[in-house]
Amino acid sequence: MSQRALRCALLACAVASLTCAGQVAAAEAAEPLEPLVLWHAYGDGEAEALRQVLAAFEAAHPGERVHAVRLPFGVLASRLESAVPTGNGPDLFIDAHERLGRYIPRGIVQPLDPSADPDWDATVAQLEPQHVEALRRDGRLYGLPLSAKAVALFINRALVPEGGAPPAGLEAMLRRPLPQGVWPLAIEGEDTYFVAPIFHAFGAKLFEDGRYGLARDGEADPRAVQALERLAGFFRDGLIPPEPSGELVTRLFGGGQAAYAISGPWLAASLPADLDVRVIPLPGLEGAGPMRPFVTVEAIFRAGADAGAEASPAHDVRVAALAGFLAGEESAVLRATVARQVVSHRGAWERFTPDATMLAFRDAARGGVVMPGDARMSQVFEPTTRAIRAVVRGGVDPAVALAEAEARFDDAVRALPEAHDPSLALVLLGALLFIGAVVAVRRSLRAEVRRSLALSLPAWRYVAASFFAVLLLVITPLVVGAAMSLFATDGSEFRYVGLTHYVDILSARGGDLLGQGSFWRVLLVTVVWTALNLLLHVAIGVSLALLLHRPVLRLRAVYRVLLILPWAVPSYVTALSWKGMFHSQYGAVNALLAAVGVEPVHWFSRFGTAFAANITTNVWLGFPFMMVVALGALSAIPKELYEAARVDGASSWQQLRHITLPLLWPPLLPAVAMGAVWTFNMFNVVFLVSGGEPGGSTEILVSEAYRWAFTRGARYGYAAAYAVLIFGILWLGTRSRLVSRAMQ
Amino acid sequence: MAELSLEGIEKTLGSTPILRGVDLDARDGELVVLVGASGCGKSTLLRVIAGLETPDRGRVVLDGRDVTALSPRDRDVAMVFQSYALYPHLSVRDNLVFGLRLQKVARGVIDERVAEVSEMLGLGELLGRLPRELSGGQRQRVAMGRAIARRPKLFLFDEPLSNLDAKLRNKVRVEIKALHRKLRTTTIYVTHDQLEAMTLADRLVVLDRGVVQQVGSPLEVFERPANRFVAGFIGTPPMNLLDVEALDPGLRESLPAGCATLGVRAHQLRAVGEGEALSPGQPRFDVEVLAVEPMGAESWVHGVLAAGEGAAAPAVSADAADGAGRRLIWGSPNWQAPVGERMRWTAEPSALHCFGARGERL
Repeated sequence: MSQRALRCALLACAVASLTCAGQVAAAEAAEPLEPLVLWHAYGDGEAEALRQVLAAFEAAHPGERVHAVRLPFGVLASRLESAVPTGNGPDLFIDAHERLGRYIPRGIVQPLDPSADPDWDATVAQLEPQHVEALRRDGRLYGLPLSAKAVALFINRALVPEGGAPPAGLEAMLRRPLPQGVWPLAIEGEDTYFVAPIFHAFGAKLFEDGRYGLARDGEADPRAVQALERLAGFFRDGLIPPEPSGELVTRLFGGGQAAYAISGPWLAASLPADLDVRVIPLPGLEGAGPMRPFVTVEAIFRAGADAGAEASPAHDVRVAALAGFLAGEESAVLRATVARQVVSHRGAWERFTPDATMLAFRDAARGGVVMPGDARMSQVFEPTTRAIRAVVRGGVDPAVALAEAEARFDDAVRALPEAHDPSLALVLLGALLFIGAVVAVRRSLRAEVRRSLALSLPAWRYVAASFFAVLLLVITPLVVGAAMSLFATDGSEFRYVGLTHYVDILSARGGDLLGQGSFWRVLLVTVVWTALNLLLHVAIGVSLALLLHRPVLRLRAVYRVLLILPWAVPSYVTALSWKGMFHSQYGAVNALLAAVGVEPVHWFSRFGTAFAANITTNVWLGFPFMMVVALGALSAIPKELYEAARVDGASSWQQLRHITLPLLWPPLLPAVAMGAVWTFNMFNVVFLVSGGEPGGSTEILVSEAYRWAFTRGARYGYAAAYAVLIFGILWLGTRSRLVSRAMQ
Repeated sequence: MAELSLEGIEKTLGSTPILRGVDLDARDGELVVLVGASGCGKSTLLRVIAGLETPDRGRVVLDGRDVTALSPRDRDVAMVFQSYALYPHLSVRDNLVFGLRLQKVARGVIDERVAEVSEMLGLGELLGRLPRELSGGQRQRVAMGRAIARRPKLFLFDEPLSNLDAKLRNKVRVEIKALHRKLRTTTIYVTHDQLEAMTLADRLVVLDRGVVQQVGSPLEVFERPANRFVAGFIGTPPMNLLDVEALDPGLRESLPAGCATLGVRAHQLRAVGEGEALSPGQPRFDVEVLAVEPMGAESWVHGVLAAGEGAAAPAVSADAADGAGRRLIWGSPNWQAPVGERMRWTAEPSALHCFGARGERL
């Protein structure tokens, strides 16, 4: 026993030492000064530039050490949000300025202290004022800008050979004659970020005064409507490829199949070396102003007050010195020359010879619109992207689409529910726990209970390990999730709201009970989705099993393996492949349809076709399981039954109907019940194939819950209430008579 | 009611010949039992008759019609399987009427048949149950009932009693016999149990290695086995088969020329009394008693031929395989016999059967 305890302790030590190994190692390396920790999410080139900058810093500040930690881009924000409040965060981090609105209320970031750096004013004076302003909140500067990113116009000079100044308007460029099969413009034309310059050209703003900018009180901004009509016209006239993705833009422009592209510096990095490309700032639109892109400022921030162990004036000075050095001229030159960053330090541009592309990106950033830093700005994207898709794919009136986008935006940024007094719930919980404890104690005092307990004690020893594993991995998250549904949060504060989330969800927050995005409507879609899928899974699975089971079929083993393959491939890979196959222009499905003379279908522009695409994908994923189960069930049917039936006069069809199917059903039922649960919660397919398009109509409950948690603010409580409802529905469903009979 | 005739049926499974030219006739209303050791081809023959297997060569003629190429459903035969093959998802009643429903027989007729069959087999209380809720004997009766309800031209039974315990087997055997007497439907019955075959058959067909060895009434087959195989297969205990070389020289000389094996049934032996003189034609078996098995009404006394004068015989143990060709059993009315001592047994000359070197009857 003591040996086991010792082993446990050793294990705990090992885990603990692993988690803090980095910090410990760093601390030992620099005895006098603890190194400063810097988090970033740079790509390879920028990370190399940063390494050189930090080396220069350490050379200029003897004894100083900086420990840089590179995190994946998608992980940085959430890692900061979990680490900084618990004091495990870095001293400094590099991130985009628009995250400030999210970080400030949560204490992830704190203003830099001008008094800690003697060169402060000189440094700030050298930085692009527009970039500095993006980092100022309530008169305080929260970070120092390092560089800016904005999109620009890429020109393939092999296709557009003119040397002189390009024509004034984008339209004039796009109307140039081009070789067959070449698109005029490659752009992610359904993505809010890339379409924003068009809105800006017409004078519309996406976000203004904390509210949605493209529509107000249900009325779309006429300038935004004009912008969307112009964009839809581009698609209609075949100037932009349909259903474009970043991957498609890279492929078309990089492959010489598009004359122009609108994208950022990242496109330049992924183009083939021999492509003759010129980059210019975005031009204007006919009858409108210049296309002004969104500008993102990357800056060095100081992590929140709790971060790090010591908060001393000396530490402040060290942090300020590093921040100042990173933003300063030497660093800027390194970053510009090594990583081709569009640096914010103005003086640095005199110290090297920037090429035309870098200058173009600098001009693009100078002429752009700095992304609003309000936390609510992040909620503009999903509704606006949906509105754009509805217009360019589904032909929806832009005014209607934008008004709907405003409603979605308002919905996502709505105020948290009022806090409720938790005392009643606490009293109830206390009473329940007390009653439970009393009952448990009284029971355990009864002689027969104690006897059976004593008898089952050895059994408990056997199951203890798995019991604790289940408790830790299944029951605890379940309870925490359920408890979370009683709280409201936007990430910064938690407040107890009782059953408000359930009431809101079930009453559609006072809206139409079957309206777009309401719980009941999504539930209906989910039920239809589950039923249709299961029907097809079983029908196809059983049919194939019947075919494969026939002893006369040759190469049965080969077919079996082939048919089980869809099951063996990870479902997200399958889902992404199918999404590609349903692309209206380049997808295999439309290519097949075209071969038989059917017009190309825009699969994700209407509910019916998008739903069908989801179902096709999931059927592809799901039938092998049913087939395998059916094959097993078939081989369990005694051969004599068929012989008896044949002698009794049954034809092949009658044998199938009266022997095979009735005997197949009982072993298939548990598989169907399991399949129902899996399909009901089949997040991958819905999220990856249709992504809820059009307009969220193909969303199922679990993907809707995901959106509330991760793309519409961090409404974890609301999403948790969805999850509890899903759990309840499945629990009731699996307790139904049909299923319980099958389980017997 | 039908006559069945098989003409030159041959069947090979894989590379193994199972049936090698089987001819057989079953007259109208007859109960023909196919008997043979396992692997002799009797079940395959039955499946050929049912249409579940197609013969490689030969014809199956039912009521004057060649049905060789017809599927089972077009032959109007019913079969009772060894495993019963009851439909597990159907009630007893639905099992009984499964074939009738497929034939689209009128509901009134179906009800009549169910009543009749359940009366005949005592299934009345079981009609609503599922097969898994029945005992082995009940399942067996349902399987028979399913065949009877169809009123086919021909019944086929494939070892229907082999899954029952011994006591029940005897009971059901009698029931089948009575049922056949009542229905008078032509029946082909397959079994490996020669006792069952003897008691049930109107006519017995003994099969060995895919060839018919003998066809005849049970008594004919018992009393005049056509060859050594039949003699050794039919009867309890089987006929004593002795190598001629091992016999007393006097006896050997009295046998017809070419006789290689001498057969004599256990119950036709008797002990030679003290001082009893045997007539010159009577055989004489000097045996050493190995063991006694009391069977109830009689005892089986196992003996081994003692060496004749001058010839030294090797010692033989009680092990059944030891000394084959020299061992014999006497069905003695007495419980006791002097184990380890010598006895002299005899039989009427008419009870002796002679078989040639190839096993043929002489």
